[in-house]
Amino acid sequence: MKRPKLLNSKNIAILVVLAIAIVLPLFLRTNQYVLFLATTVLLYAVLASAWNIIGGMAGQLDLGAAAYVGLGAFTTGTLLIRFNLTPWVGMFIGALLAMGIATLIGIPLFGFKVKEVWYALSSSALVEVFRAIFMMWNKVGGPTERYLPFSAEGPRSWYLMRFNTYVPYFYIMLALLVVVFIINHRIRYSKLGYSLLALGEDEDAVEVLGVDSRLCKLKALMIYSFVAGLVGGVYGCIYGYLHPSFFSTDMSLEVVILGIVGGMGVTYGPLLAAIFLVSFREYLRASLSGMFPGKGLEGLYLMVYALILIVVALFQPRGIAPLIKRGFLKLKSFVGVK
Amino acid sequence: MTETAIQGIITGVLMGMIYALIALGISIIFGVMNVVNFAHGDFVMFSMYLSYVLGTALVWDAVQTPLLTFPILLIFGLIVYYLIIDRTLRQLYVVQLAATVGLQIMMRAAALVIWRGQPRALQYSFIQGNFEIFGFQVLTSRFVAAVISLIFIAAVAYFMNKTWAGAAMRAASDDLDAATLMGVNYHRTYALTFALGSALTAIAGGLLMSFQQTDPVGGIRFGFLSWCVLALAGLGSIPGLIAAGAIVGVAESLQVTFFNPQGRLLAVYAIFILVLWLKPRGLFGRK
Repeated sequence: MKRPKLLNSKNIAILVVLAIAIVLPLFLRTNQYVLFLATTVLLYAVLASAWNIIGGMAGQLDLGAAAYVGLGAFTTGTLLIRFNLTPWVGMFIGALLAMGIATLIGIPLFGFKVKEVWYALSSSALVEVFRAIFMMWNKVGGPTERYLPFSAEGPRSWYLMRFNTYVPYFYIMLALLVVVFIINHRIRYSKLGYSLLALGEDEDAVEVLGVDSRLCKLKALMIYSFVAGLVGGVYGCIYGYLHPSFFSTDMSLEVVILGIVGGMGVTYGPLLAAIFLVSFREYLRASLSGMFPGKGLEGLYLMVYALILIVVALFQPRGIAPLIKRGFLKLKSFVGVK
Repeated sequence: MTETAIQGIITGVLMGMIYALIALGISIIFGVMNVVNFAHGDFVMFSMYLSYVLGTALVWDAVQTPLLTFPILLIFGLIVYYLIIDRTLRQLYVVQLAATVGLQIMMRAAALVIWRGQPRALQYSFIQGNFEIFGFQVLTSRFVAAVISLIFIAAVAYFMNKTWAGAAMRAASDDLDAATLMGVNYHRTYALTFALGSALTAIAGGLLMSFQQTDPVGGIRFGFLSWCVLALAGLGSIPGLIAAGAIVGVAESLQVTFFNPQGRLLAVYAIFILVLWLKPRGLFGRK
């Protein structure tokens, strides 16, 4: 099958959404909260789209997203604090470091055929391990927050990637999302993509056909960890501090939920899921925070997330993307467009 | 120095028996049904909270609470099996894993909502205190917990080897089709297996509550610890499980004694990774 053109009717629809997204900040300029929400949605969409490569296509349940995000954030932030290196460069160094560590772990892991639950466990433990390491490593991490330098105005603020408003972060995340979409699209219809998809169904059969499944999985892991590291660099700048709590199991789980609920192997699935679920979470946080003090609220939305994940896994294992596609087609035939 | 080390080893081995009991639960579920219950550690956390609730309401000692939590967890296991696990048996394994990951999040979230994420502990148990063997201090609570764990591990071994239901479980584990032809109703066998595996966490939860507190995130730690024990032990060997529990317990305890208590999972993770790389079937595995 040939790779469909990047500009088919579906992608044009996506482009229209994108155009709306680009002008959105102009209207929301005054409302920083909505902008922050939109940035968070995009951030999670980027992570979940990257997860789609290793999780959705290759069928490896990777629960380590937060480990790479945290590594990216700490590398970028530490380079800025110690060596005054701008995050625009630092985030790429952080991403390379995250990718390097992922590769170092991935080579023996895939080489020794660690898969299924053991892969999921080792990746989810990675997050906890990095948190423990950065808690103890007082020169870089430690239990107190490390604040990044801040400058409100002018070129200095651009150099530090720290802004008064969320508008620049929104555009950075949007750009990342577009890049990840293009990567996803290109991989999906390449030899690597077909190998990964087949891998997700039946690994032994793929090996028999002469595909080096280890190399394919490693490539998927490298791309995914690189993107997560990049996101991490920006994540640190958005929050303005570094703390070992960046290595958060909840974040990894959320990425996986978005990936699965959105539809595994579907390029635009994670974005849809992120728009619905992340804004729902923020809505709950904004509207119910008075009723559930302490960590109760966190539990409440986690509960809803978990319920959605279970229901999707049981009744709609392909995710919500096919449902939306069907609705879209119906709408098309209703309107009378071919 | 050596004395501290031996002291650490004693504590570790005793803790390891509880880990072995927890791991026995996932071991039979994974071994018989080939189902991965990612939420197993959170079952432990849930049992601990349940012990706390019953212990405070009835003014019972933590060690007594499994009398009630065991049947509750048994029923809970049955409900979870029929609601979730039974429907995922024929799915892709990613979907299966995702369903139990959802269950894990659900239980942790419930603990956050109900108990506001605060750690809870019971009154001092009547098995607190310590005694001395060859000049080394042994905590009575850990010792009693280890002994009770071993008794239950032995009981499960007896059940698996000597009863009809146990034989059905082992048959379903070895060859599902042949077992079905021999008249084993695999849905019922699976349900029983899952319920039994879950109910074992009630015992572990009650024992753990006699000397430590519980918090919602603890489930992740117990889950990882018990999977590590299982990775080390391999499937199908109960003495192997006990040995693996002891190894993991000692590793954790020595890490806490000699290095940094904050990194208590590091030693366990190191073992886990090494075992996965070098001995993917565990040190004592049957299959």
